[in-house]
Amino acid sequence: MQAYFVKKLLMLPLILLGVSFIVFVSIRALPGDPARLMAGPEATQQAVDDMRVRLGLEQPLPIQYAGFLMDAVRGDFGTSIRSQKPVSEELASRFGATMSLAAVAYFFATLIGVPAGMAAAVWKGRAPDQIVMIVAILGASVANFWLALIMMDYFAVQKGWLPLLGMGGPAHYVLPSITLGLLPMALVARMTRSSMIETLEQDYIRTARAKGLGAFRVYRRHALRNAMIPIVTIIGLNFGGVVGSTVVTETIFNWPGIGRLLVDAVRFRDYPIIQGVTLLAVVSVVVVNFLADLLISVLDPRVRFG
Amino acid sequence: MTNRPIFSKSIRTALMASSVALLALGAQAETLTVMQSEAPRSMDPADQTATFTQVVLAPMYEGLVGRNSDLAIVPLLATEWAPDDTGLVWTFQLRDGVTFHDGTPLDAAAVVASFERLLDPARGLAAAGRVAAVLESVEAVDDMTVSFTLIQPYAGFIDLLATAVGYIVSPTADAAGTLGTNAVGTGPFSFVEWQSGEHVTQTANPDYWGEMPTLEGLEFTWTSEPSVLSMAAQTGEADVVNPLPPIFAQTVEADPNLTLIDQPGSAMFWVSLNVLDEPLDHVAARQALNFATDRDALVSALRRGYAVAANSPLAPTNPAWDASLDPYPYDLDRARALLAEAGVPDGFSMSVAVQEPEAPIAEALQGMWSDIGVDLEVRRLESGVWVEAAFNDPEAKAEDGLSAVIASWSSGSFNSDLQFRPLYSTGAWAPGGANLGFFTSEALDAIIDEAAAELDEDARNALYVEAQRIVNQEAPHVLLYSNRDLAATSANVEGITMLPGGLILVANATKSN
Repeated sequence: MQAYFVKKLLMLPLILLGVSFIVFVSIRALPGDPARLMAGPEATQQAVDDMRVRLGLEQPLPIQYAGFLMDAVRGDFGTSIRSQKPVSEELASRFGATMSLAAVAYFFATLIGVPAGMAAAVWKGRAPDQIVMIVAILGASVANFWLALIMMDYFAVQKGWLPLLGMGGPAHYVLPSITLGLLPMALVARMTRSSMIETLEQDYIRTARAKGLGAFRVYRRHALRNAMIPIVTIIGLNFGGVVGSTVVTETIFNWPGIGRLLVDAVRFRDYPIIQGVTLLAVVSVVVVNFLADLLISVLDPRVRFG
Repeated sequence: MTNRPIFSKSIRTALMASSVALLALGAQAETLTVMQSEAPRSMDPADQTATFTQVVLAPMYEGLVGRNSDLAIVPLLATEWAPDDTGLVWTFQLRDGVTFHDGTPLDAAAVVASFERLLDPARGLAAAGRVAAVLESVEAVDDMTVSFTLIQPYAGFIDLLATAVGYIVSPTADAAGTLGTNAVGTGPFSFVEWQSGEHVTQTANPDYWGEMPTLEGLEFTWTSEPSVLSMAAQTGEADVVNPLPPIFAQTVEADPNLTLIDQPGSAMFWVSLNVLDEPLDHVAARQALNFATDRDALVSALRRGYAVAANSPLAPTNPAWDASLDPYPYDLDRARALLAEAGVPDGFSMSVAVQEPEAPIAEALQGMWSDIGVDLEVRRLESGVWVEAAFNDPEAKAEDGLSAVIASWSSGSFNSDLQFRPLYSTGAWAPGGANLGFFTSEALDAIIDEAAAELDEDARNALYVEAQRIVNQEAPHVLLYSNRDLAATSANVEGITMLPGGLILVANATKSN
C-alpha cells in the first residue's frame, strides 16, 4: 500500500520530464514566431532577428531545452517573453485564483450532484430521476462559454444581481463556479445514480432493510459509502477536464487565474509561460488523483493498489 | 422544508455583501476604469506598436510634442522647435522644471538616451524600426537643447515624435532595465501596478508640470470576448470600453446611461493579392476582383454601417485623402470583361488567409466573387499562425499556395508615408515589411520617396494623391473599407479624446457621480 503511493510520488518527476518535453516540442512546432509577434508587423527582418537573439530563441532547440531543464530543477522556469517577469512569480499570483474557483465549483458540484444522483437512484424511473437525468444531460452537453454569456447577460446585466467580471467577494464566485462546475456536477450525479442503483441491488442492502433499518439510514450508511468509490474516482479523473475548462471560464469572466494567463501566453507564443502553466496544471492533476486514490483506500479498506 | 429559508437568506447575505462592495466602489468614484479588447504588450512605449497598448501608456508618458483633441500638434516636453534650412537637423528646446515619476530631471541627456536606445540594434526594441529608418543621430546641444539629425529630409518627423515611439522615458529606469514592466514617464498619471492577466493601475501624479488631472486614478482591464466589452459598459463595471464592436453600437446609443463615441477612423481593411501568383500577376484579374466587390454591402452587413467604403488606400481622416476618386464601383459586367482580358473568362481558384475576427469578410467575398466564377478558398487561422503565413517570403508563399491575405492597417498617425511605404513599396516586401503581395511599381516607389522628403504640405499631399491613383490603378489590394472608431463610455464620463485608429486619450477625462 505505502509502496504504491511512494512509487506514485517517484513517478511524478518522470511524468513532468515527459510532459515538459512534449510541451516544449509541440509549442515550437506550432507555426507562429514569438520574435515576429513581439517585434510587430512593421518590423524589418533585421529587427525580428535582433528580437530573436534578445529572447534567446536563436539557439538550437536541444540547447534551449537543456537550458530550460537545468533552470527548472533549480525552480527557475524562465522569464515571460511579454511581461518580462519571472514565470514562477506570474504563476504564484494566479494559481490560488484558479484553485479557489475550481474548489468552489467542485464543492457545489459534489454537494448538489451526490444528493441529486441519490434521489434519482432511489426514485428510479420516476419524476425525480427523469428531472435529474435531463438536467445532467443538459449540463454535460451545453457549451459552457455559451451558458456563461447567457447567465452574465441575465444575472449581471439585466437583473444586476451578481457582479459581471473579476474576482472579489463570494458573489463573484457564483457565475464562474456554475460555469465550471456544471459538467462535474452532471458527471457526479450520473455516476452517483448508476453506482447507487447497482449497490441498492446488493444482498447486504436487502439484509440491512430486513433487519429493520430505516430507508434513509440504509441509503446513507450502507449504500452511499460503497457507491462513493466510483464517484471519487470520477471526480479525480475529471479534475484534468476542469483545469482545462478554466481556460474558457477565466477568459470570459476575467478571472485572474492560470487559464486566462495561458490564453494570453498562447496568443503571443510566450513559450516560458505556456511551459510553466502546463507543468503546474499537470502537477495539480497528478496530486488530485493521488489524493483521490488515498481517499478511496480510506473509504474502502479492502482496496489495495499494487 | 426548513432548509429553504436558510438557503435564500444566505443568498440574500451574499447579495448584500456584493452591494456593499459596489457602494465602496462608489465612494472612490474618481478612478476611471477602461476596458479594451487586448492586453498591453509592454510598459515600454518603444517595445510595442499596438494602439491599445498606447492607450494604456499615453497617460503616463509624454513626447516632445503631442496632439490635442483637434488633432493639432502641440508642445509637450519641448517648448519650441525648428528645422534648419536643409530640413535635416531639427532643434528642440526642452521645458524647464519637469521631472520623471522616479525623480530624474528631464534634460537633454534624458531625451538623447531615450532615442539612442532606439538606434541601438542590440536592444531589439519592437518599435525601433520606425525611428531607425529616419533618424541618423541625436545629440545634446546644451543642458536643455536637443538636436536630431535625419538620414534625409522627412516630412513626417514631427508626426512620428507625437506617436508612442517618441515618448520620452526615464533614463534611470531604462538603465535599470525595468521599463518593460514598470512605466516611468513624465505624464499626468504615474504607474502603480501591472498584473499581466488582470489590470494596469495608475495614480494621478502630484508633481505634474501641467494642468492636474481631475481623476484620482486609472484602471485598465481587457477581455478578448466582444460581448463582454458591451456587458461591462452596461453594468458599469467599465467606465469606458474600447473598441466597441459595431453590433452593440445601437444598444449603447439607445441606453441613457451610456454615451457612444463614433468618429471616422484610420484603420483600412484590405485583401492583399499575391501579384506573383497566376492569374493575379495580371492587373486585369486584380481589377476584376475589385469590380466584383460590393463594398457598401460589406459596410452595412459587417460593420452595421459604421465604416466608409474605400475609394483609395487612405482613410478619409488622412489629410491627403482624395474624395473625388471612385475607381471601382460594383460592376459585375466589367469584372467579367476584365477576367476575359486576363485570360481567365470563366474565373479561377484562389486562397485567402484570414484571422478569426475578419473571417466574415472572407466569407462575404467568397459569395461575391463566386458571381464571376472566382472560387475563394478561405483559410481561417489563429493569429500567430496567420502572422507567419501572411509574412512569408515569395518562395514560402508559393509553396504554401497562398494567393491573398486579409488584413487591416492603421499607422496611427497622419503621416501618409507610414501607409504607403510599408504596404506598397518594393523595399517592404514581406517578411521585412507589410507588402504582403510583393507589389512593385517604380513610379510609386519614386513618388513615395519624393513625398517623404517634401516639406511643403500641399505639394506633399498632391504627390500622395498621385500615389493613391497608382495604387487604385495597379490594384495590389482589393481595398474594402475604413472603420469608424467606436467606443462607449458611461454617461457621467466626459472629456475623452479619440484619435483616428482607436487611440483614446483618457488622462483629461472627468467622472461625476
